[in-house]
Amino acid sequence: MSAALPIPVIQLLQVLTVALGAPGVTGVIARVEARLQGRRGPRIRQPYYDLAKLFRKEALAPEQASWFFLAAPLIAVTCYLTIPLLIPVLTSYGLPLGYMGDILGGGFLLSLASFVVATAALETGSPYAQLGSSRAKTFSAITEPVVLFVVFTVALLTGTDLPYALAATVRSSAGQIIRPAHLLAAAALFMVILHETGRIPVETHTGTNEFGMIEEARAFEHSGPYFALLKWGSELKQLILFTILADVFLAPWGLASTQHAGAVGLAIVALLAKACAVGCAVAVIDNSFAKLRLFKITEFVSGAFLLAVLGVFTLYLGGG
Amino acid sequence: MDPAALGAVQAPGVYQGAANVIAAVMLLIEFGMLRQALARDQVRLYMAQSVLLSVLAIVIAADRNLPDLYALAGLSAALKVVAVPLVLRRLLGRAGADDGEDELPGVAGSQTVSPASAVLAAIVLAAIGFFCFGAWHIHGPAAPATALAIAGAMVLVAFGLMIVRRDVASQAIGFFTLENAISLAALVVAAGLPLILETAFLFDLLVAVVVFGMLIRGHHTKAESLSTADLTRLRG
Repeated sequence: MSAALPIPVIQLLQVLTVALGAPGVTGVIARVEARLQGRRGPRIRQPYYDLAKLFRKEALAPEQASWFFLAAPLIAVTCYLTIPLLIPVLTSYGLPLGYMGDILGGGFLLSLASFVVATAALETGSPYAQLGSSRAKTFSAITEPVVLFVVFTVALLTGTDLPYALAATVRSSAGQIIRPAHLLAAAALFMVILHETGRIPVETHTGTNEFGMIEEARAFEHSGPYFALLKWGSELKQLILFTILADVFLAPWGLASTQHAGAVGLAIVALLAKACAVGCAVAVIDNSFAKLRLFKITEFVSGAFLLAVLGVFTLYLGGG
Repeated sequence: MDPAALGAVQAPGVYQGAANVIAAVMLLIEFGMLRQALARDQVRLYMAQSVLLSVLAIVIAADRNLPDLYALAGLSAALKVVAVPLVLRRLLGRAGADDGEDELPGVAGSQTVSPASAVLAAIVLAAIGFFCFGAWHIHGPAAPATALAIAGAMVLVAFGLMIVRRDVASQAIGFFTLENAISLAALVVAAGLPLILETAFLFDLLVAVVVFGMLIRGHHTKAESLSTADLTRLRG
């Protein structure tokens, strides 16, 4: 019998797991992707080394930029580190701060982070950074309805929009999993995640090819620790989205149901394993489809929208 | 917290859930056809949809203890997964060969609206079909109301497919999937129907295939293309 951890410690561990695990998950995905392409690929620890190197470097800012340019990466990372408090990362029971915000609250924080980064990019006057932020905002506006309909589905499935409640509902019986509403909403969310993490349909998430550049372009003018924060931020965002998909929608198993250190430790391992599994699936999908033209993005999003809308429809006749 | 107390929609159970999921995937395939630019891929999607229909028949047969339905599933698979696609491919392949192409002809240029708008319009159509069928409140012992409503949505989306495409191939496939939608509805509402009747309905499809086959051949010999855009002029 292992010792019981105090609740605040578990809460802190949720944030630390996401904060420290995110670069590792990125490393695993990069490795898998390299293997898929027949390369040896970087070390799994490479993203940590990259961050460490960038944190030691000098930071420069464009002359015209105001304080906001430098504050934006900090605000963004703060947002990303707040979200793990709201979603089930390690425990199946709600932690005290978990009820601070619902799914929409988490969504607002994600959008706020993306908004400050885009605003900072606009301040630089660099054409690439501006192109990136304008594209990011345009396309996030068209994925917004999909996310909203996924939230509606969750609300209809559970009667609340707390992520903990949906995870508990999914765990409760097999009938909750094999119902079109749940499967359609999960598939729609997965498509949004593919889009948001820069995998499909147009972006190359590592590339600096301006045809498909969205997220990568926004950080062009940042350097040193601030650039490190942005990079870390996008890794955090990826792990957070994977966590929401795995721990709320697809596989809310392996979470700690008690406060015992052993159970929580197991939950940390389970979360990282699930995130890596989702990451591998994403990498396989990313590498098996051709990228589309930029303006084909509406087709992809209309597909995701279709799934989410059908999810809500099926619920209205009581059978979804 | 009890979800039911908060007004959550209760899960329908594994069997009904599975039937609804299969119906929903069939509807999604219907939407997939709106996007496909090649006749070959449309035929493939039609095959996939027909496979799902047979799977649904097997699920219902297993759950409701109706051995007739196994036979129906087999027959429907033989006809819709093997025979109809074969005939369609030969027809279209011959049309392609006459044009000096090796493959089935593309139907890419036949969209009257962009795929994204077509999907959005079809979502509206699906909503109308879905809620109209739902408003009838048909509840049989084997009838998950949602699967029936999805069949209604599929009928309208199939009509939509035939409207937004200007080539005979897509229109034929739209018509065949319309028949799939009606089979789905029949399966859900009247699973206990005598096998002979179900089979008779199934063979109606063969008539449709022959008619559409003649239509495709006739149109192709006359207009030397599969596009129906030439038909807008009244005089040749």
